[in-house]
Amino acid sequence: MALLEVRDLKMYYKTLRGHVKAVDSVSFDIERGEALGIAGESGCGKSSMANTVLRLLPSNGKIHGGSITLDGVEILKLDDETFRESIRWKKISMVFQGAMNALNPVHRIGDQIVEAILTHEDIPHAEAVERTEQLLDMVGINPKRFKEYPHEFSGGMKQRVVIAMALACNPDVIVADEPTTALDVMVQSQVLKAMEDLRKRLDLSMMLITHDLSVIAQTCDKIAIMYAGKIVEYGSVIDVYENPTHPYGMGLVKAFPNIKAERTRVRSLPGFPPNLLAPPEGCRFHPRCPLADRTCMEEEPRLIEIGSNSHKVACHKVDMLERGVDIWEQ
Amino acid sequence: MGFSRYVLRRLGYAVIVLFVIMTFNFAIFRLMPGDATKMIIDPMFTPEAIAELKRQFGLDDPPIVQYLKYVGNLLKFDLGLSFSTRRPVVNELKERLPNTAVLFLTSFIFTTIIGISVGVYTASKRGTFGDNFVTGAGLFTYAVPTFWIQLLLLMLFGYYIPILPIHGTMSAPPPDGFLLQALDRIHHLILPAGSNVIVAFGSWALYTRNTMLEALGQDYILTARAKGLPETTVLRHHALRSVLPPIITLIFGALPGMVSGAVITETIFSWHGVGKYLMDAVMQQDYPAAQGAFYLIALAVVICNLAADIVYGIVDPRIRVGEGGAK
Repeated sequence: MALLEVRDLKMYYKTLRGHVKAVDSVSFDIERGEALGIAGESGCGKSSMANTVLRLLPSNGKIHGGSITLDGVEILKLDDETFRESIRWKKISMVFQGAMNALNPVHRIGDQIVEAILTHEDIPHAEAVERTEQLLDMVGINPKRFKEYPHEFSGGMKQRVVIAMALACNPDVIVADEPTTALDVMVQSQVLKAMEDLRKRLDLSMMLITHDLSVIAQTCDKIAIMYAGKIVEYGSVIDVYENPTHPYGMGLVKAFPNIKAERTRVRSLPGFPPNLLAPPEGCRFHPRCPLADRTCMEEEPRLIEIGSNSHKVACHKVDMLERGVDIWEQ
Repeated sequence: MGFSRYVLRRLGYAVIVLFVIMTFNFAIFRLMPGDATKMIIDPMFTPEAIAELKRQFGLDDPPIVQYLKYVGNLLKFDLGLSFSTRRPVVNELKERLPNTAVLFLTSFIFTTIIGISVGVYTASKRGTFGDNFVTGAGLFTYAVPTFWIQLLLLMLFGYYIPILPIHGTMSAPPPDGFLLQALDRIHHLILPAGSNVIVAFGSWALYTRNTMLEALGQDYILTARAKGLPETTVLRHHALRSVLPPIITLIFGALPGMVSGAVITETIFSWHGVGKYLMDAVMQQDYPAAQGAFYLIALAVVICNLAADIVYGIVDPRIRVGEGGAK
């Protein structure tokens, strides 16, 4: 059994014009020590999914079904108070875009980490301080800077502080929501490397949310491509990058230039992601898909396994695509 | 440039402002229509008596000399003799200052506590009936004139439901015993202080609510929640703490208004304080008394502003470092 099992998860935002189906019947597993990348365009529901796992939803966001099992425990059934005490940060912690505003500007960075530890563990303050200093040291920040405020750090260093904070209670899973988005490429690669080293060393599982496929390629074992609130392709990073099969997955991978390959034009996907208030019937990608036919407009495709290695695709045209038709070559 | 230099600069500004107020204070009462000397000098007096009186009050000097004497005396806290009571103004103010201070501090403390608590509460319950009701009530009391609410309360609790005294700081023959006297004073304090709180809490509650709502939308609040902190800690320690700098600025910025509002409150409730003293002095064209009271109130306003600047520097670490340069 996987460490984190998400089954058929549905989370909708209630608005004046109806339900926005931001996460709609999403299922995936994360094994212990494994990293899953979740990729997709802005507004496809990937951040909503991260927040659903930690139940950090705004008042209009409701979970409408499904299950999340962590280490055999069904955590969606826990009441709010138990969930807050025993799951948040203790089992599942989160890395936000620290470069932006994830750290409170009026508290010392050390105190913010100590606070997380003391909320979940009954240990003396001095011990929490000591552990915080070790954590800072671990992410490459001088523990002497314990008493400094967030504005005294650069974006990359703030991100390291946020990572140190995420590790404070020895969680099982780290959910990283766009952890490197606001950083420049050099700093981004340093931060990713630091995260990767720590993850390997501490045998952590990770769910990494990003729109940047290169970040996933650098850090993850598996990838799930989301489109309009659903996972359309799922598999090992190697399988999906080398052999993208869903028309959307294919388009996404092609939209990414490869500096080692022959010089080609970067493809862009025509059209826009759908409005999640009223997603298209059938396959949600059909309005943008060159292969769409009547079945695609009427029937919703299921995620089915192709080949080996649990590479899964949700598309009616799988047979055709597996033969290697290059649909975006026009 | 460190924090102490920041404080020194603010202190310098305060001194300049005080000096300007001092000068205006001298000029304004001499430019007012009406001749104050008529209050104390009867035209039937002999010229010698008039000259002697004018000499006693220092009114025979040319204005510039009067001004210099005035400044010199102010620095020695000598505010002259009251025209109407012939007693040193300083002594009269000293008698009344504690009353004003008690009323002011009570109003201030309760307004702050109630205003901020209500703001935090409504922000955390945004959109509920409680939020709408309290916010609406706060907006109403903030919008209507102070004296109107005060007169209404006076009518309600002094006349229709006569449970509270309508004037003065204590009963005419004060009751015996320290405890009873203290209770009697508190009894008298309820209406004036209560009306001040009712009038002022709304603006602070609304301001706190708005800044809180803005803070609650910030990423660091999401971080705090994700950390598994209890909701009260998230609200107080993270959201409120981060919006305290602007709220404290507002509070201290509102202090001068509350100090000068004392004139109205004290007049309406016949509170034996500096504000009513100023009002009475102006009505009786009692220059020294009015000047003295006016100066005291201005001094309080300047001190409040100075305190606001300093406190702001303390609560917001970013300002401290900004002033001190990057470490």
